[in-house]
Amino acid sequence: MIFLKEILLGNAAIALGAVTAGVKVVSGYPGTPSTEVLESVAQYNRDGKIKVEWSVNEKAALEIAAGASYCGARSMVTMKQVGLNVASDPLMSLGVIGTKGGMVVVVADDPGPISSQTEQDTRHFGKYANIPVLDPSSPEEAYEMAKYAFELSERINLPVILRPTTKVCHSSGTIEVDESRFEDETEGFVKDSKWVIFPPLSYRRHLEIEKQQGEIADIFDRLSFNRIEGDGKYGIAAGGVTYAIVKDIIDTYNLNVILLKSGAVFPAPAKLYHEFLLRVEKVLVLEELDPVIEEQLYHVLAVNNFHKPIFGKLNGFVTPAGELKFDNTLKIIEKFMGVRLGNVEESIGTEGIELPLRSPVLCAGCPHRASFYAVKKAMKGKKIVSCGDIGCYTLGNAKPLEMTDTCLCMGAGITIAQGIKKAEPDTNAFAFIGDSTFFASGMTGLANAVYNNTDINVIVLDNLTTAMTGQQPHPGTGKTMMNTSSPKIDIASVAKALNVGFVEKVNPFDHKKAVKVVQEAAAYQGVSVVIFEAPCVTLFKSEEVCRIENCIGCKKCINEIGCPALYVKEGKVAIDDTLCNGCGLCKNVCPTGSIK
Amino acid sequence: MDILIAGVGGQGTILASKILAYAAVIEGRKARTGETIGMSQRGGCVVSHVRTGGSHSPYIPVGGADLLLSFEPCEGARNIAYLKKGGKAAINTASITPVSTALGLSAYDGDKMMKYIAENSKAVFIDANKLAKESGSIKAVNSVLIGAAFGLGVLDLSEESLRQSMKKNIKPSFLDLNMRAFHSGVKEVEEMRTKC
Repeated sequence: MIFLKEILLGNAAIALGAVTAGVKVVSGYPGTPSTEVLESVAQYNRDGKIKVEWSVNEKAALEIAAGASYCGARSMVTMKQVGLNVASDPLMSLGVIGTKGGMVVVVADDPGPISSQTEQDTRHFGKYANIPVLDPSSPEEAYEMAKYAFELSERINLPVILRPTTKVCHSSGTIEVDESRFEDETEGFVKDSKWVIFPPLSYRRHLEIEKQQGEIADIFDRLSFNRIEGDGKYGIAAGGVTYAIVKDIIDTYNLNVILLKSGAVFPAPAKLYHEFLLRVEKVLVLEELDPVIEEQLYHVLAVNNFHKPIFGKLNGFVTPAGELKFDNTLKIIEKFMGVRLGNVEESIGTEGIELPLRSPVLCAGCPHRASFYAVKKAMKGKKIVSCGDIGCYTLGNAKPLEMTDTCLCMGAGITIAQGIKKAEPDTNAFAFIGDSTFFASGMTGLANAVYNNTDINVIVLDNLTTAMTGQQPHPGTGKTMMNTSSPKIDIASVAKALNVGFVEKVNPFDHKKAVKVVQEAAAYQGVSVVIFEAPCVTLFKSEEVCRIENCIGCKKCINEIGCPALYVKEGKVAIDDTLCNGCGLCKNVCPTGSIK
Repeated sequence: MDILIAGVGGQGTILASKILAYAAVIEGRKARTGETIGMSQRGGCVVSHVRTGGSHSPYIPVGGADLLLSFEPCEGARNIAYLKKGGKAAINTASITPVSTALGLSAYDGDKMMKYIAENSKAVFIDANKLAKESGSIKAVNSVLIGAAFGLGVLDLSEESLRQSMKKNIKPSFLDLNMRAFHSGVKEVEEMRTKC
């Protein structure tokens, strides 16, 4: 064994853990904060022995990993928490059918939320589907848990959920990398009626799986990911990265508390919880998202018929939403212990200074800005609802474009627009969807619109990549994660095959033509699809920059398109040439032709 | 040692944090970083936390940072609460105007913000954009600022460890220009210190 010390992002640590454990098939769909897990596997896959793919969506990805597991191969699937909603259909059934080769379902949760629609807690999905959940507190532990998850899965013949949160995924730790690799031969698919889900089988399996939960809990009682540390009369129970924060607080202030660490969190290590509860006078539960450990502790109290005061989210002691950081966690611990520890109030404040807002924006030169502007110009003075979707283009909601009126979940723009059109027939219902999202979940919605004769206008923002999550390839790019090429799927051809009556492709930077095409699409009775095709600015290097001369200071360019490269200097507009990439959209806005 | 790195999405704060953290590993210590990756990267506020002192969590408490490295004046001011009282700071003076300011929705007064930082910390202010461009690329702002931090004499890392870490974490074709940028940052700060 060779050990190398590396600084690894939590996501890379999970990838390396899986590679060390001999994973053979890895599938996933990009989503912050999970994306780098699969990308890192692809980087470590120098000999190409691991089959790595970005699947079209999470449901497809989970089924691919399941198929590989049926053959006895170790497999892993990666996604963000809302992706598991999409993959919940196969997950629920897989919890009944079970697996053969070790199968790990990596689902990244996002307390805050920082880059997500919801603050949902994947630990509930484990309970819902009777699938064990491991919850790492650091990149180092994520690495160990990733390796262990495959072993556990093979021991119990069930998939295992590895559920890191953003502060584990996107923090890095010092990992001692084990260069050895677990190797075994894949047996291959063995025909057996156990792989075919039927009601009588589901009934039998349900009995077995419920019995198995107790056996897994017994394993978790003895697992080092779960443990009791320290001494004192008060108890703190913590899971995930919150455990690490609590440890820092205990170390910083030399606190005497009994700390319960819950890492293998479902099924609950009930005997360990019982032992912890017997030793403490009262308990504070610190965990991000939902009160899962807290409810488990109440359950142990109820089953064992005794009482200890528990302080947490359920009695309003801990905030139900958002992140637990060092400073708010410290305040909660101070309140719980009735002591004053920190002096956060004495730190250098920012009250004495006015700070401008700096929200995320579409990049300078982003083709989405040109697309939104073209639709805005084309539909000026008309009644329009713009249904957005998930991707960089959700940022089209910001001033001054304000071209995103709704955003719900992946693929919902096309179908929400149909609902709006049905309820309010005199509005122009527009749906904006990115290329990767179109393949993930836009096609079924489009088929629905054609089938039900709904007059909507679909704008596909095709920037030739999955941009928001960091430029992943998709079926329209013809590139794969195995460094091979595949036949590109053409979105216009897909729309035509679905019998969409109006299909046009146009470069959004060809402003006049773009406006004209949108007007034609809006006038068309029936489903129209306009594909705005132009590459994401991160895909190429532009040497060009826009120049501004004789600006009259009307600021129409800034007020209409809000490009981050445009700013005001001494009453006139200036261009930041470190940001500008010369897309030229502002030239179409300037009333005096001052931008070259 | 706790270092907070602040900037605007796209400026290269993550590479800076990795270089600092790996330099500590080269010296046989354990390091952690906490990053901002995702939606905020699109021109929003980003911070990286670098911790080399054996902490359990990757995020520096308010009032805990020994050093603040800021790629942009406003982001330095925004994150000054993380700095220990009397902590040191290296601030890039080149500003990036937020769209909200261009639209007239919020004011941006760079001089006022830098004055506030100067009053509340031991800070040096350098035009890291200019030094990076002179070294060969605007992208080398991160190396200039690491150089500035080293020049301040506050890092508990040797120049050799930093050099090795840069070699490991920067593509070979960009290494020379980044080393030039590093040295220009060191020189700039050392000259400022002798003037004082």
